[in-house]
Amino acid sequence: MKFSPSLFEVNNLNFERQGNLVLKNSTFKILPGEYCAIIGPNGGGKTTLVRLLLGLEKPTSGEIKLFGIPQKRFRDWNRIGYVPQRSALVDGSFPATVREVVGMGRYARRGIFGFESHEDKAAIVEAMELMGVSDLSDRLIGNLSGGQRQRVMIARALASAPDVLIVDEPNTGVDVESQHRFYELLRTLNKTKKLSILFITHDVGVIAEDITRLLFVNQSVLVSQNPGEMLRCDEMSRLYGTPAHLVSHNH
Amino acid sequence: MLEMLNYPFMQRAFIAGLMIAVLASISGSFIVLRRYSLLSETLAHVSLVGVAVGLLFGMSPLWIAVLASLVASWLIEYLRSTHGMYSDSVLAIFLSGSLALAIVIVSLAGSFNASLFSYLFGSILSVSTQDLWVMGIFGSLAMALLIAFFKELYFIAFDEDVARAGGIRVTLLNFMLVSVIAVIIALSIRVVGTLLIGALMVIPPVAAIRFGMGFYPTTLLSVAIALLSVIIGLSASYLFSLPSGAAIVLCLLVIFILALVINRR
Repeated sequence: MKFSPSLFEVNNLNFERQGNLVLKNSTFKILPGEYCAIIGPNGGGKTTLVRLLLGLEKPTSGEIKLFGIPQKRFRDWNRIGYVPQRSALVDGSFPATVREVVGMGRYARRGIFGFESHEDKAAIVEAMELMGVSDLSDRLIGNLSGGQRQRVMIARALASAPDVLIVDEPNTGVDVESQHRFYELLRTLNKTKKLSILFITHDVGVIAEDITRLLFVNQSVLVSQNPGEMLRCDEMSRLYGTPAHLVSHNH
Repeated sequence: MLEMLNYPFMQRAFIAGLMIAVLASISGSFIVLRRYSLLSETLAHVSLVGVAVGLLFGMSPLWIAVLASLVASWLIEYLRSTHGMYSDSVLAIFLSGSLALAIVIVSLAGSFNASLFSYLFGSILSVSTQDLWVMGIFGSLAMALLIAFFKELYFIAFDEDVARAGGIRVTLLNFMLVSVIAVIIALSIRVVGTLLIGALMVIPPVAAIRFGMGFYPTTLLSVAIALLSVIIGLSASYLFSLPSGAAIVLCLLVIFILALVINRR
């Protein structure tokens, strides 16, 4: 049987900020092909966890492996696509066309003085087509709606041909209709492109189906491979410490 | 009017001015997009300290200005990135501190004189052949670095976190950018002057952004605006005996106002 390393393997991870413990003793794995959601209360450490996985924050102690390689030695960062929180809230006057923003996804692969190769161009076109933003190619990113910008940011992440896509709070600044389309899109990418997906959300109602793994983050990470069980109202109420009512968005 | 180009001092002023226009407008695009415009003004004041030290000890003011500006740029970036201090606060401290230091040193040296005046506001008479060599060497190096890492610097300006997560060496490139800007500013003081170089870095990209284009055409337009302003400004300086820096900046202001009027939103 072929050995397939975890995408992320986290062991006894601790993280402190200015003396305050943000994450403690967190241990979990995320495997290739997973459709994984991260939930938890505000300030519980969800974004910090993602930033730790991406190397944007340094752990106080513990170990993170990416694709089986210790994070300090990991160099293939273009295998991870990242769409940060509030990415749809772009400065309106920033001089960047949709084509230029999606093209940024290829920069790490091009190297110093590197010009756009045919492969780069093809990857950019494919990512824009996949996200339905090809017709916006020459538009300024600041002139688009929140939903359109969100799709552009994902196209940028996809242009680097990643193995895993990490999306932090995708619904910030986006209308409800676009949110539905967005989650459908994530599911499609996971199923048809075999792209592993890890996303942070507050909107527990929309993630009830299809999740292969659920991480509940509130200073520590609680992992469930049976998301349906964890998403029960009584369990949610217990975890959040407040009465929870699950509202399904299935329409 | 073209007979001015027969004079060697005007030839040197034009070569230096056009070189500075290209370098200042390209590097300026990055600091404007990062809301770091005051960096150019601050480093210009720091290079004035270098000029004052050079004048006091009879050393080359240009070399000392390059050195002072470089060291200050590293300190500013270090304090901003490592100590989490607000960028504008760090810049304000360096700006006023360096100006105070420069004034003290100049006072110790004797008095404000014509030589210092030319460093403050630029002078077409002051560019020597040696200055051109220094500008050529450091300017080429700065240009090579800007071209080599142009796309990475653009990505960082757009979204520093995503660039870092994508494997781009953001910290190193940030230090490189401030170093390049420090050198460009120090090289510019002969033509534009320490008090006015900030305008040559900031106004061309700000005016170009008003036209609502992508980054690459915006940068090209920014370079064109800077070149046009330097050509008109230096010519006006020759024709009307004006300080070259002031003439260039007034030209930039006219273009900026035109850009505002044309692109009313």
